[in-house]
Amino acid sequence: MRSLGTTVTLPVFTVVPELLPVRCQVKMLCVRKLQRLKAAFYLPRSTTHRSLTSAEVLPKDDALLKVGNPSRESKKGCVLCNVTVDFKNIQLLSQFVSPHTGRIYGRHITGLCGRKQKEISKAIKKAHSLGFMPVTHKYPEFMKDPRICSIKHLD
Amino acid sequence: MPRYELALILKAMQRPETAAVVRRTVETLMERGAVVRNLENLGERMLPYKMTKHNQRHSRGTYFLVDFYCAPSILDDLLNHLHRDVDVVRPTVMKKEEQEPQSSCCAKTEL
Repeated sequence: MRSLGTTVTLPVFTVVPELLPVRCQVKMLCVRKLQRLKAAFYLPRSTTHRSLTSAEVLPKDDALLKVGNPSRESKKGCVLCNVTVDFKNIQLLSQFVSPHTGRIYGRHITGLCGRKQKEISKAIKKAHSLGFMPVTHKYPEFMKDPRICSIKHLD
Repeated sequence: MPRYELALILKAMQRPETAAVVRRTVETLMERGAVVRNLENLGERMLPYKMTKHNQRHSRGTYFLVDFYCAPSILDDLLNHLHRDVDVVRPTVMKKEEQEPQSSCCAKTEL
């Protein structure tokens, strides 16, 4: 417990431990009240401070500590973050291809990261040459698939 | 021995004939000292585009995938043999990609 030196007269409403002498009790109360006021104005920095104020829990501080830094962006991955790209999976590959011309969409449209965009591109070209996927169009049964690419078609 | 994959497109035929062609192909592989690991039938479907082979226009075909281990020296001879086979529309041999455990793709740094 810190001793402040100055004696401050403040209204006292807290429960006082009976074992301590009166003078000590008053000093303790004053100290505690001041510390509570201090805590209300700024966040505790040192661990000793925290151990003292946690006895009288102030909900504001606790909430702030739990949330962490709100200006930090959560780590986002691309759509295919944990998906293996295969040339046999033409339904997946067809989602990154234009339905009108069969051309592969660029990175600014698919929103994929560098590695995945390259993998998709390579797989599509492989599927073309192997005779698994059509080159100039898209299979009609895949036209109704959910749209991953952010491109607006005039339908 | 390195691992290869043969993506085989056969002419659309009756079941016993398709079976005969597959058997013939696998036997050719084994003659040259290849070890066939897996054989998958991807079914008969419409080809994505019309293919011309052996003076014939094909619009339907049966897809097969053969996983095998072999010495790299036999591949040239094997492909030559497959191209000459009248019932085979498109044979392609590729190296089998090893699936590495991907460690956090797209891990963006905090700002």
